[in-house]
Formats: sequence, C-alpha cells, structure tokens
Amino acid sequence: MANTDPDTELVRLAQAGDLRAFEALVVKYQRRIARHVARYVRRASDVEDVVQETFIRAYRGLAAFRGDSAFYTWLYRIATNMALNSIKRDPAPVLLGDDAPEERSEPFHPGVSDHDDPERRMIASQIAEAVQRALDRLQPDLAAPLMLFEVEGKSYLEIARMLSIPVGTVRTRIYRAREFIAKRLEPVLGPQRGRRW
Amino acid sequence: MTIEVSKLLDGQLEAEDAKRALEETTAQPALRDRYTIYGLVGDVLRGNSTPDDGFSVRILQRMQAERVRIEPGYDPLADDIS
Repeated sequence: MANTDPDTELVRLAQAGDLRAFEALVVKYQRRIARHVARYVRRASDVEDVVQETFIRAYRGLAAFRGDSAFYTWLYRIATNMALNSIKRDPAPVLLGDDAPEERSEPFHPGVSDHDDPERRMIASQIAEAVQRALDRLQPDLAAPLMLFEVEGKSYLEIARMLSIPVGTVRTRIYRAREFIAKRLEPVLGPQRGRRW
Repeated sequence: MTIEVSKLLDGQLEAEDAKRALEETTAQPALRDRYTIYGLVGDVLRGNSTPDDGFSVRILQRMQAERVRIEPGYDPLADDIS
C-alpha cells in the first residue's frame, strides 16, 4: 500500500459520512489520546472531557483534514490544544519538576474520577500480566512482527524487509500473534464483553 | 474474518475491502470485540493496560446526543488556545 497513513481508508469513509468509520478511529485511538491528555490534565474526569471534546472537534472538522499529516498526528495536535485550553481554564494542576508528566509513574485510567481506584488498578495489572504471559508463550516468529509494528512503529513493509519475509506473511503473523494473545486476554476482559464498542 | 479485522486496524485494506471489512466488523459484536481487543493488545504492549469501561461508547453517545456533524469550513486546529 503506497499511502503511509494506516487510517487513510477509515478517514475517507468517515469523511464520506460513514459514522462507523469514525467510531472505529475513536475505538482505536481513545486510549492513546487519553494517555497524551493525561500528561497535561491531572483530574481523570477532566481528561475524559478533553478527550471527548478532541474527538468531537475532530469529527466536526473532518472536512478540513487533507491528509498532509497522518490522521493520528492531526488528532494528537487537536488533543494538545484542547488540553492546554483546559489547563488555562483551570490552572490548578501544575506539572513541573518531579511531577512532570513523563516522570509520573502511575498509569492513567480514563473514565473514573479517581485514578487510584484499586479495582481498576487491579484490572489494569491483570490485563498487563495476561498479555505478558501470552507474549512469553508466543512463537518468536509471531512475536517479532507484532512487537516491531506495535512497539517500534515500523510499517509492514519495513518489517518485511527487516525479517526478509513477504508483506503478506507479516500480515498473517501479526494477525496470528494478536489472536493468540486475544484468546488469553478474553478471560480477564470477560465481564466487559459487549461494552467495549 | 478476524484477519480482516486485523488488517482493517492496521490500514492494510484497499478502499472497497476496507469498506466491506468495516461493515462486517460493525455488524457483528464478536468482530467488534476483536477489533477492540486487538487495539488493546497494542496499547498494552506500548505500556498502557487501562481497562476499557465504555470510554469510547460514552464519546459516541455524546456525539449522537449532540447531533455532531461534519462542518465544512470548520478547522479544529484553527481554534486558538483561548
């Protein structure tokens, strides 16, 4: 695929009026955007507000997105502006020095008013452990493409070149790796089935 | 079909195939689940294991409630930081 933005087709469909395509983008990026916003905004409820506003503005402005950057880059810039606006309205949380966002060790949990919620903390820990356990059992030839894609941000083409395998094999291996992990993650996520999207 | 979900997530489908995969994914709860779990796996690998408590659902519900529409001429990045 010539285009380097993985969201090109979903964005095109959304711009043409297919709300489901935008929903797919929301589901895909909500956690990443929330994490980014939480670097600026401390209260979890405020983070959720900012993330919601980010996606709403992105949807309203979809016609203005021309693909000059990747969709996620555009979304990220909107989120940054929204987060800075939020800080200006409520400047209480000052994140400097030892409290600088990159130095905060606690993960952000969107959707709760208190990110110290022990139950959510426990679920997050269980999710992380389940994925790690699955990853430990995953065949290395499946794990490598997945890690290169998800963690290193390599494209399918780059992975194919690095591992000397066809792009089609990269697609298959990433899928098989995800499926292997997903099956082991499902028991942890069980009670949330049907609530995710 | 779940391999198409994986491809859809990664932008590995051309226009018509992407449209078809999106239709099938959104029409079937099991496939929607797969789409979200595959996405979660990526986020966990990047260090974010946040459980999903319907966060995205609330965003979409708000969009429907407020009847949010694409507005030609509106540029969200032109909104100065106030």
